Amino acid sequence: MCLLLFCILADHPAVSCVIILTAAWITVGMGGLSLRRYLSVLTIPITFILLGSAAVAIDFSGQPVGDFNLYLFGGYLYLTGESLLKTLFLILKAFGAVSAMFIMTLSTPSHELFSVLRKAHCPSLIVELMHMIYRYIFILMEVQRNMRISAESRLGFRDFRTSCYSFGQIAGNLFIVALKKANAYYDAMEARCYDGTFAFLEEEYRANPRHLIAAGIYFAALSIFRIVVR
Amino acid sequence: MNEPILQVNDLHYSYDDTQAALKGISVSIYPGERIAVIGSNGAGKSTFFLNINGVLSPEQGEIFYHGTKITKKSLPQLRKNIGIVFQDADNQIIASSVKAEVSFGPMNLKLPREEVVRRVNMAMEYMNITEYGDRPPHYLSGGEKKRVAIADIIAMEPDVIIFDEPTAALDPLNAAMLEEVLEKLSAEQKTLLISTHDVDFAYRWAKRVLVFCDGQIIADGTPLSVFQNDEVVKKASLARPMMLDVYQELVGSGLLADEGVYPRDMREFRELVGKRGRP
Repeated sequence: MCLLLFCILADHPAVSCVIILTAAWITVGMGGLSLRRYLSVLTIPITFILLGSAAVAIDFSGQPVGDFNLYLFGGYLYLTGESLLKTLFLILKAFGAVSAMFIMTLSTPSHELFSVLRKAHCPSLIVELMHMIYRYIFILMEVQRNMRISAESRLGFRDFRTSCYSFGQIAGNLFIVALKKANAYYDAMEARCYDGTFAFLEEEYRANPRHLIAAGIYFAALSIFRIVVR
Repeated sequence: MNEPILQVNDLHYSYDDTQAALKGISVSIYPGERIAVIGSNGAGKSTFFLNINGVLSPEQGEIFYHGTKITKKSLPQLRKNIGIVFQDADNQIIASSVKAEVSFGPMNLKLPREEVVRRVNMAMEYMNITEYGDRPPHYLSGGEKKRVAIADIIAMEPDVIIFDEPTAALDPLNAAMLEEVLEKLSAEQKTLLISTHDVDFAYRWAKRVLVFCDGQIIADGTPLSVFQNDEVVKKASLARPMMLDVYQELVGSGLLADEGVYPRDMREFRELVGKRGRP
């Protein structure tokens, strides 16, 4: 989280590059995730970053200006070397921030995250909602997958028309199933003395001093690097 | 016999106005009993369970727990001491890790932290799921989820445990594991109520059988007396246990002498055949 902020505040392409590389090293090298999986997970944000940056890089004008331009519908789409460079830096910065975020996403089990939020006095309503939403997403996905498979096995997606129809039916059904499941859940929770507050046992978690020191050194090194490359 | 742990008098319940789900259920349950609840789909078994756990409140009728009448005020007492393992484990598991899930019940009982930790560890060991402690529930297989669902209830240490169709959707290995757990719980003097469609299981495991049919209990007795009553078997559209059929066939055809010793499982049957040989 701090790394994310640091990446944005440092606002320097070299720092971003270092963060991208070290984040990849932490997740793949130390976390043990295969490089292919890591890259495939990253392709989603990369797509968004590239599409979003295109809008920053490309400008529109009535006159043929800029270093490169393209005549289109009575106007010119143009690029300047400066805007291109700025966009590149932006991409690096955004990508660095995303990789910093992914360290957390790919390494921290959700219940530990919730537990930290609760200890940080995040409103319990939000933490409870996160708990439930997290669990429900997987249940909904599974139900949806089952319905989709059973529709497919009955040729429900053979062409565009049937696909639309099946999709609508599945969506509608999913809604009803969700309501029913919510009821079943509530019954099951009541049977276990649920009284309005979500309480789970949380691990006594002690920060490993070696981790803290490692994180400290890492940030110090990044700060020095930032000052040096200025 | 000593006083009933749970007594139900003339219980009525309906989900909507048009059709009653329970029509006057009266039954007494004694400590340490092993009861199988059988009956076709929609006969009211699950509704009955939710009523005696206090999740649904009956329209008419009374429930006594250890002789005290259950009112709105004493409802938590009822829920605390009667646990339900739901049929679909997916409808029961709410937390994002197995350990947190098992702790949900004890935490709701407002126990001190050390006690919660003790119970969670005990229940996870009981169901042999200690190694999955930190796993999120959607990475578990069906059998493992069932084990988590049972551990959920064991951690609450109730006197009465209700299993709603526990053997449905379990492979033979997991079903055998479940029977072992039931045996163990029974040895600890827990009162067990199990709804099932597996008549062979009911016949060999239960000491008492309740037959539900259309919102009423139409038979209540030892497995032998219930399954020998053809009228009940027909009315509730039950199947007869294989062991009972085989035994009666052997006796009927004169291959085995009728001594009134009914084998309940394969082991007892082998003993019987081995001992008798031919008449």
